[in-house]
Amino acid sequence: MPEWAATVLFLLMNGLIWGLIIALIALGLTLIFGVMGIVNMAHGDLYMVGAVLAFFLLPVTGSFWIALAAVPIITAVIAGPVERFILRPYEGHPAVTMIATVGISFILQQIALATYGGIPKKIADPVDFSFSLLGVSYPGYRLLVAGIAILIILGIYLFLYRTNYGILIRASIQDRQMAAAMGINVSSVLVTTFIIGSVLAAVAGVLAAPISQVFYLMGNDVGLLSFIVVIVGGLGSLGGTLIAALALCSLEGVLASVLSPTQAKAAIFVVMIVVLMVRPRGLFGEREG
Amino acid sequence: MQRERVYRYFALGALVLLAILGTVLPSGARSLMIQIMIFGIFAMGYDVCLGYTAQCSLGHSLFFGAGAYACVLSVMHLKAGLLTALAISVGSGFVLAAVLGPICVRLSEAYFVIVTAIIAAVFHLLAMDLIWLTGGDDGLCISVPPLKLGFVDLSLYQPLTNYYFVLFFMAVTYFVLARILRAPLGKIFVAIRENPKRALFLGYNVTRYKLIAFIISGMVGALAGGLYAVTLRYCSADYMGFYWSVLPVVWCLIGGQGTLVGSWLGVALMSLFQYYVSAWFTYYLLLFGVLVLIILSVSRKGILGFIASKVR
Repeated sequence: MPEWAATVLFLLMNGLIWGLIIALIALGLTLIFGVMGIVNMAHGDLYMVGAVLAFFLLPVTGSFWIALAAVPIITAVIAGPVERFILRPYEGHPAVTMIATVGISFILQQIALATYGGIPKKIADPVDFSFSLLGVSYPGYRLLVAGIAILIILGIYLFLYRTNYGILIRASIQDRQMAAAMGINVSSVLVTTFIIGSVLAAVAGVLAAPISQVFYLMGNDVGLLSFIVVIVGGLGSLGGTLIAALALCSLEGVLASVLSPTQAKAAIFVVMIVVLMVRPRGLFGEREG
Repeated sequence: MQRERVYRYFALGALVLLAILGTVLPSGARSLMIQIMIFGIFAMGYDVCLGYTAQCSLGHSLFFGAGAYACVLSVMHLKAGLLTALAISVGSGFVLAAVLGPICVRLSEAYFVIVTAIIAAVFHLLAMDLIWLTGGDDGLCISVPPLKLGFVDLSLYQPLTNYYFVLFFMAVTYFVLARILRAPLGKIFVAIRENPKRALFLGYNVTRYKLIAFIISGMVGALAGGLYAVTLRYCSADYMGFYWSVLPVVWCLIGGQGTLVGSWLGVALMSLFQYYVSAWFTYYLLLFGVLVLIILSVSRKGILGFIASKVR
């Protein structure tokens, strides 16, 4: 096996694993938009909040896995009231929700800056093994991340398509007024969906914390990428989002072997523009956005 | 038409007041005032997009930054005169809006906001990366060429000259935009804002008029960027940052969207807020976020919109 093939495989692996993390974030984004028409600009910052919380919880709990279990609970406690009391009046007006969530995004970032500080820090890999991938040593934690992400995505799928509550959520996506008329408690569905979306982003943040650096602006890049993913996949389409996340991130991973990181990002952007010119609602988007 | 008269009197009063203030203000307050006027131009341009055709763009920092860079780079490399440089700024705004606009304006509301934000973010990344051209985060400094009026050369290093130079452009922008918005074109904008489907049934090419509004808005944004670069004699990639896209939205929301000049009030309030609060509170963006939420929950009409709705 020639050396370049090993390099490309390595980058492709990294891209796919990163794609799974982005998929978690973008799924939350598209779910929140699909159910309540909120364009959540603070979604990248929820990812940051997850990572920062993990950083704070690690010394207290002593175990990465306890932190991974605790962060969703904390995020849910924050996200529920935010949806109910701050965002509820603006739902269905994408532009207004976007401005409101920009406000929330600034608040989250500044709180993180005030408590965590402006210096990027690293979390040690929670598992300490690596294996050889065609002669290149590959950290085992990344594979573990991929496994956990796949499990979560599978869990979300089963929840949405195989449980009664999932049916309620999907009914609210299709037609909210009709769902309310059928006696569905839409208010609780809205809160639940927002919590699920936020928790997805926060968990992605915890998982990504040992791989990337923990920084109070780390959500900006990720938020940008997941917005591109959601646009390409089709706003409100869950399957499209998953496919777009994996495809775009592995493409970026492979392109990074020949281009600089910024050029690779620009290439992804060009892909988005081309998709938008051919299909203004994204590859798999059907509904009025 | 009562309402329009309120806006017009307010605008004329504000311009006269600004002209008088220029001579009496101390130098610190005067430079703050110059900034407010430049942002006022930016805000007026943005209002054509948000207030008159209901296109909420989160990517206007692109035009602001591009205008600033066009001005700085043409002075540095082309040795352009002041007015030529500003004309190049406006041209750059036109080109960018005309190239990117057709992709954006036909999208639905949610896609439009997201895509404009993404476009600005990617250009911001590029500006940070192409350091040989843009200076990246450190930016570029220029020495501003004198203003050649034929009979006399004026230097913008004189604060008073700078003040009236900016005020002149603010007045010109206001009169041009007000004229456009009073003309049939402006009425079509309002028709599209109120009901795009009905405007389409009446035979108007909605996409084209949205594009025209987008381009006008981009050109004015670029002019503001150019003036800002000239005033600070400096320009950096930061001008394309996300913060500069959020500011015009907030200005228009506070002052009143769809009033053209109401945003001046928003600019003045926000600039004073920023000036005083950032001095004693490091995390003033936190308060900025809270402020955005409060403004949205109180009223989306804005101050001037509220006043005008009370006038009989």
